[in-house]
Amino acid sequence: MNNSPPVFDIDLRIPLQEFELELQYSGSPKSLGVFGVSGSGKTTFLECLAGLRKFYSGRIAFEGEPWLESTKEIRVRPMYRNIGYVPQDYLLFPKSDVRSNLEAGKKRLLENGLNFGEVFENVTNTLELGALLDRKVELLSGGERQRVALGRALCSGPRLLLLDEPLASLDAKLRRRILSYLLKVRDAFRMPMVVVSHSPLELQTLCDEVLVVSEGKLIAQGPPNEVFAAGGVFELAKEGGFENVFTGKVREHLGRTDIVCISDQNESVCIRVPATGSEIGRKVICSIASDDPILSLQEPTGLSARNYLRGNVDSIFDSGSRILSRVSVLEGGPEMIVELTQDAVADLNLAVGSDVYVIFKTNSVRVLV
Amino acid sequence: METIYETVVRTIGWASFSIGLICVPGVAIAYLLSRKEFAGKHVLSALTTLPLVLPPTAVGYLLLKVFADYGLLGPDTLGFDLRVLLTWKAVVVACSVMAFPIFVRTAKLAFDEVDPRLEDMGRTLGMSGWRVFYSVTLPLAARGLVAAMLLGFARSMGEFGATVIIAGNIPGKTQTLASAIFTAQQRGDDASATTLLWVALLVGFGIVYATERLSLRRVNTGGGRA
Repeated sequence: MNNSPPVFDIDLRIPLQEFELELQYSGSPKSLGVFGVSGSGKTTFLECLAGLRKFYSGRIAFEGEPWLESTKEIRVRPMYRNIGYVPQDYLLFPKSDVRSNLEAGKKRLLENGLNFGEVFENVTNTLELGALLDRKVELLSGGERQRVALGRALCSGPRLLLLDEPLASLDAKLRRRILSYLLKVRDAFRMPMVVVSHSPLELQTLCDEVLVVSEGKLIAQGPPNEVFAAGGVFELAKEGGFENVFTGKVREHLGRTDIVCISDQNESVCIRVPATGSEIGRKVICSIASDDPILSLQEPTGLSARNYLRGNVDSIFDSGSRILSRVSVLEGGPEMIVELTQDAVADLNLAVGSDVYVIFKTNSVRVLV
Repeated sequence: METIYETVVRTIGWASFSIGLICVPGVAIAYLLSRKEFAGKHVLSALTTLPLVLPPTAVGYLLLKVFADYGLLGPDTLGFDLRVLLTWKAVVVACSVMAFPIFVRTAKLAFDEVDPRLEDMGRTLGMSGWRVFYSVTLPLAARGLVAAMLLGFARSMGEFGATVIIAGNIPGKTQTLASAIFTAQQRGDDASATTLLWVALLVGFGIVYATERLSLRRVNTGGGRA
């Protein structure tokens, strides 16, 4: 039995302008996401974790170490929390170059017994910052600033990485690039992360557990694909751009399209996607909107849509304004949420356990990374 | 007979000394007023501004009381004589007191312009409060602080009212550029008064121009490309 304390043990009350944010959570995800609409208190929550807020109370323990214990008047200052914080607007130190920014947390890293040279090299290689080191931060583009802010946090030897809307201020093309850097950081540096975002897609890609906050309350928590499809959350998630996210491996290049295998168990479970630009065998992350696929009870013939996958209906439920069906693609394929209408469910006699084909066009698939 | 050159050099020296003297307490008070909330903050702010609104002669008279035999810093109170009145030290004291408000107000503006969230970033990177101050706040406020020093220096250079009351107007000893103009005008020495006026104009213009340039650069370095 594992007796180690949870990575996060949080019971917070944070007074905001219109309401008080109450959040209780205990768990040990590799990467924790916090989802909510603007003004729901996500950033404030992150600032409380970083110790940057004055007025909040309750309890925060990270890996068993108390950072806040209001009843015992424990409040660890930000400099002692060993965190790497990347705010939405990056807050790079102006009038200095990239190297100076990356070295800002060098002292703490050394105090933590780490080798700065090694970490610095690892960070600059992972985030491809080598060519930018002598450049003034005022001359950096948005994507470069994001990478430098991330690098600065990592070069301070943190135990926890806090990311506030890491992709919000970037255009679609840059978002894809930075997302791949964030995945690299998540996998290479193996430290817990808390990601705050109003975009379900980012949290689905980066996190293994998500908290949903709305009007000061925690309304759902769990794995992202389950949480975002839950009643009361789906409408919020849909507004934020919820899509089905799944990973796959590039199997074949076919000019303007690629074949991507989306099952670990059976290599024949593949879909056709727009050209990924990735090498054969490379892992990619794709997404498809929940209102793009259609379901068929028979194997489709004579369709222009290139993708049809055999699946099984796991559940059918009402999200509030939509009927959703959760379909498991057979032979180790991903789970997909498909939006349906009431009469389609009735006409097809769809029920839990129904065998279906999930059909969608190649161009409905977005390659995220 | 003291030359105009000597008067100018001596005045520049006293003004520089005054700025050196008020730099540390001025920066500390400006930082406190800009960043901290504490009881009596507004009283402190009002007290530091007071010499700006009082007639300089009133400030001079107050200083005279402070350094008089029975004053707060007089020989009867301290037990020894600081030997301030009617010496160069009195000039420096008068200049420091009169330059203090403009220095603090300009320095406070410089600190106000530094985004406190940048200081927060420093803290999350493990920097102590002192390290945040000297490696984040101070470099970002540097231009504003230089402007504060320049404006304080200019105010010291032009100081007259408080100075004549506690330091007098003794040629070769406590006479400043301002009191030398006054003396020259009083005795009808138009040539000397005009030369001194030109020096005062040039120094004043140079300092205000430099301060404007510094402010302009501060504004220009705020942006970046998206």
